[in-house]
Amino acid sequence: MKQFINKRNGGHIIIVGCGRLGANLANTLSDEEKSIVIIDKNKDSFCKLAPSFGGIILVGDATEISVLNEAEIEKATAVISVTNNDNTNIMVAQLAKELFQIGQVVARLYDPERECIYREFDIDTICPAVLSTKEIDKLLDASQEMEDAG
Amino acid sequence: MKKRVVLIGGFNKTKSLATSLIKKGYRVTAINNDTQNCQSLAKIEKLTVFNGDGSKPFILEDANVYNADIAIVLTERDDSNLVICQLCKKRFHVKKTVALISDPKKTEFFYRMGIDSVVCAISAIAGIIEQQTFLDEMATLVPVGEGRIRIAQVPISGTAPAVDKKLWELSLPKEVIIGCVLRGDKSMIPRGDTRILAGDILVLISSDEHEVAAVKELTGR
Repeated sequence: MKQFINKRNGGHIIIVGCGRLGANLANTLSDEEKSIVIIDKNKDSFCKLAPSFGGIILVGDATEISVLNEAEIEKATAVISVTNNDNTNIMVAQLAKELFQIGQVVARLYDPERECIYREFDIDTICPAVLSTKEIDKLLDASQEMEDAG
Repeated sequence: MKKRVVLIGGFNKTKSLATSLIKKGYRVTAINNDTQNCQSLAKIEKLTVFNGDGSKPFILEDANVYNADIAIVLTERDDSNLVICQLCKKRFHVKKTVALISDPKKTEFFYRMGIDSVVCAISAIAGIIEQQTFLDEMATLVPVGEGRIRIAQVPISGTAPAVDKKLWELSLPKEVIIGCVLRGDKSMIPRGDTRILAGDILVLISSDEHEVAAVKELTGR
């Protein structure tokens, strides 16, 4: 794995959860010549990765410290936790931030109400519900303006 | 005013904890996300039961977790337990949070994340099994200070090598103290010249590494 990390210079990024978002992100970042390790509990999930994906896949539970060590988390520049379980994402993010002092930690959060836990840990959160709301609101506003103008 | 305890997740553990805490005079609320478990829990007298996912803030709010004295979180998943404890602490200002975890390696991490008390079922049970298997002479064992120090009762049989010896004649490891000798219905604090008799029960205070050696010296096993 060492050789692999040295070869690509764009930083070592760990993605946890190979769902639609995780796989998409891995494909995109891999195309940008970044070294990626993607972790998922279920090995079938990795079929979503593109054939051109040039990173490493790791089957395991990322809330286990031994799995994070295997992914060489101490060298990581960023950890992105996008599993389908909010609690898992919170725990992975806090492990990365507090135990391994990773500079950039991003977690997806389905339930925006849990954000208070993240705030004091300096963890970036992405909340699909909030993003979609804003986007839909924008679209509605735009069509309203069109009507008003017309 | 009665102290308020909230039990989140778990079924069998919650059942026995709730019964025992109610008996001790606490006001107990249980939150469980399984309807059937809830119905069964509701049969316990004076127990308030809520059905829902305890990691959702609005469920905790419904159950009036705000300002509770103690929250004990017993779900099967470590990550849920962590999040529930943090929600209880940060959002609902629960005074003390207790989490059950299954991975012993994460104990320290949980403490670092601000959980007041972390109980690792697996290492606790493994410890008890080990004691039961190798030290069957011990009647009771109390681990103190995260299990580093132990208090044990050691019965002395007639064939034990320590019988009829004075304490200073025994070569016990340095980190072991015989704190008390129970003889019949009397108890006494032993001195160096106290003689050990068959049928005595010794109360041993020792570090966990030296316990086995001490018990061997005293009972011959």
